[in-house]
Amino acid sequence: MATYSNQHWLLSHIRNSFISTDDTGICETVMLSDDMPKHYLRRFQTATTTMDAHRRSGHRPPQATQQQRNSVPKTPDTATQSSQRSAPLQHMIPPRIADPPLQEVDFYCYPGLDLSDDEDLDMSTHSFDIQMYPEVGAHRFRSNTAQKLEKLDIAKRKAARIKSVNYNEEVLPPDRQDFFMRKPVNVRPAEKPSTSTATATATKVEKTSEDDLSDEGVKSKLSEQLAKSPKQTQNRFIQYARFDGTAQVGMPTKRINVYVNMLPEPERNYPLKICVLSTAKIIEVIGLVCYKTTLQYPDAVQLKSVQHYALYMTEDNDDMDDFPPLDNREPCSKFGFSHLTLAERRPLAPVTRIDYQQGTKSITSMDDKAAVAAARALENINLNGDVTDGAAGTGDGGDSPQDHVKEYEKRLLNHNDMLEAPMHRTYRLSIIDKRFFKCDVTLSVSGERIEIDQHKNAKFWAQRKPVSTPIDLVAHCEIVEQRQLKALLRIWLKSNSSSGMSSSCTSAPMSASITSLNAGNNTTGIAHSPGSPGHYPSHSSHSPFGQVSSMSNIRFKHYDFDTDVHTAEQIRNKLNCILEMRSSDIRREFLHQRVRKQEKQQAKRQLKL
Amino acid sequence: MEATEDQLILATGGYDHTIKVWQAHTGNCIKTMRFVETSQVNALDRTPDKTRLAACGYQCIRLYDLESNCTAPVINFDGVQKNVTRLGFQEEGKWMFTAGEDHRVRIWDMISAPPHCSRVFDCQAPVNAACLHPNQVEIAMGSQNGGVYLWDVKSEEHEQLVPEMDASIQDVAISPDGHYMAAANNKGNCYIWQLSINPHQKLSIICPKKKIQAHSRSILRCKFSPDSRLLVTTSGDGTACIWKTDDFTKWRELSIENYWVWDAAFSADSKWLFTASSDGIARLWKLYTKALARDYTGHSKAITALSFKDEIVAD
Repeated sequence: MATYSNQHWLLSHIRNSFISTDDTGICETVMLSDDMPKHYLRRFQTATTTMDAHRRSGHRPPQATQQQRNSVPKTPDTATQSSQRSAPLQHMIPPRIADPPLQEVDFYCYPGLDLSDDEDLDMSTHSFDIQMYPEVGAHRFRSNTAQKLEKLDIAKRKAARIKSVNYNEEVLPPDRQDFFMRKPVNVRPAEKPSTSTATATATKVEKTSEDDLSDEGVKSKLSEQLAKSPKQTQNRFIQYARFDGTAQVGMPTKRINVYVNMLPEPERNYPLKICVLSTAKIIEVIGLVCYKTTLQYPDAVQLKSVQHYALYMTEDNDDMDDFPPLDNREPCSKFGFSHLTLAERRPLAPVTRIDYQQGTKSITSMDDKAAVAAARALENINLNGDVTDGAAGTGDGGDSPQDHVKEYEKRLLNHNDMLEAPMHRTYRLSIIDKRFFKCDVTLSVSGERIEIDQHKNAKFWAQRKPVSTPIDLVAHCEIVEQRQLKALLRIWLKSNSSSGMSSSCTSAPMSASITSLNAGNNTTGIAHSPGSPGHYPSHSSHSPFGQVSSMSNIRFKHYDFDTDVHTAEQIRNKLNCILEMRSSDIRREFLHQRVRKQEKQQAKRQLKL
Repeated sequence: MEATEDQLILATGGYDHTIKVWQAHTGNCIKTMRFVETSQVNALDRTPDKTRLAACGYQCIRLYDLESNCTAPVINFDGVQKNVTRLGFQEEGKWMFTAGEDHRVRIWDMISAPPHCSRVFDCQAPVNAACLHPNQVEIAMGSQNGGVYLWDVKSEEHEQLVPEMDASIQDVAISPDGHYMAAANNKGNCYIWQLSINPHQKLSIICPKKKIQAHSRSILRCKFSPDSRLLVTTSGDGTACIWKTDDFTKWRELSIENYWVWDAAFSADSKWLFTASSDGIARLWKLYTKALARDYTGHSKAITALSFKDEIVAD
């Protein structure tokens, strides 16, 4: 049973409440890498193991201590603890500063949470589906009868305004003689145009080129008005007009107040009230807002295409929140906002990320540097993802403005990928083991770790332990070989053996071949496709270049997977996206080493020539 | 954005049970009115004073006020049976005619309040179309059994013609100069008669003039241009054809491929044509160049009727 004095439970509760009441889904993205309860849990577990060690060396069992603490909070022998009781709260607010050793902190894990470290796989524990119902706590809905009565009343009042005529009533011939009056029709009106054209031949001459018919000098109001408003003035966003909720009948609609950030000062402060079909996607809502803006303020601002804008969450005092914009592809019914802001799409939303893996608390608020960083990150993804493409792109001299636009749009698209990248996903593929054996595994990739789990139905080989690797140890992911349907996917990670920084990384039982990237014979890099995949020799350290070039003594190993091209690309993009966003040192080192090595190889080849 | 005096409006209605009012020259939708949930809009017409819009459909006839913001009708007809296929107003708005699949064409006195029925004509078959002669007393009608009628509402005389057996007349039209009467059927044929004035103030004299094999599929509408020099036929074959009335040769063909063209309307100078089609888009064409000048998008289903009232401005 958890109590309110249990910090771990509280943390967990606060987190879950945030997630369950946030109808945007953004909070998940933001908090994904910051699972504090789990962070503490991990620390707690390491603490317990050290305590286990203590116990083995004759100390009091920690279970007993815990129970004692729970049941008797103010026993004399916990006097020191009570003085530290306030400590965890303080240290919860700035989580990285003054981290006291965990066994000193009065911290108990909520049962269930400490059962498994893989609890993020089990979505049920997170209560994502819990919804708050607005009537709870507010006022309850009126009864059905009251509503029905009101509806009837409204209908009655409406009906009273509508005059009703009986269609089948008796025929009542008109009593007035002049009711039906024969109107004389122009005797020969067909000839009239010809005479008028004859008289107006002079004016007609110029007009003939324009029109060979109906040219007797009449002009309709429509022609006049059309002449006044050339087609260019037709609203460019008119295709989005059909999402206007007020223009449809009997379809669910949604009312949103939208601040239009591009408008000049006085107008900008007042929201545009729009009514949109619930089925409209966010991009269509943007289009509708643009449409309404151009109607309401025709001269205020020259809007660009809808791709340039995004909807941001907003307080009702029009302060734009620093969250990523709403996803263009989502239906607007998913979101429950009353106020939003339409603004120029920012290159990357400033996400405040707290990085736990490093020793110091580093809150990176990406604001002005964000644009540069994001652009670089995305470029890197493209380059890493498809080297030839990148090379071709630079080779073409992609400096034309069109290329810039394309690049920009590509970046916008990637933006969504980047948001989705840290989401947990699993893939079924086969790992290539011992250089030729394949076995089916589940690879799960999330913003925190990658895990490889062997399938239960593996027949011939002994069941192996699942491997879990923190994302910080993963360096790179690439497709090394691609055939028509199959692809060989390689995930590079830091080899465990080299440094003690890896804490919870299980040593790889899947016997991935370990290789140093500085290996002289591994020079063909990505293009290298050995007949039997995973055929990287482990004797590389003997290479003379190995010693010279390895400035830092980080060694890398890799897992090879066999899967279809699509999945391989998905995993590669996702993983590299995560890695780019984390901008880990391991990755930088890996890529750095690779470039150096390629340069060396180049130099060596030239030397040979 | 109110429907001001100065503004030309286009009204459209269709299978999505709504009637939309558009600013004709910009293509912006000004107003959407709820029609009957169970019915499409078969025909639309505006009162001559332009303040009201009449719409008919399955088991309903409704009049809407265009000047108020209210989207509910101001007049509703009760007890309507079957489809009401056409309606229209006498040029001063004194009376309105309705044609229905109950075999009857009715004349409604719109001066008295509430409106009441002052004449009925029985066509013996569902009436698909009706059209008022510019002399304001004769009504042309077309029925599903192929009959074309000309009825004098004042003297209650009538004449019946059957141009083609086993074909249903889909629409009838009389040219604004009173010269021609056209009837289009579901076989794609259009029949033209010449009308001449009866010296005794009686029903016009009808004289067959021409048969045009206009379309490969059913014709849905035919209409003469305000200057009586053009005739448009719209069809289920995805085209609207414009014929010259001096020799009834085809002048222009507007194509909306794969969609039915349900209705059309000319501008007052006969230079522009609006079309309503089953892709849910109303279009404005410049006839001379066949260029598409505007489109009016917003309906979620086929548009089956439109109404446009233009006026001549002094040159």
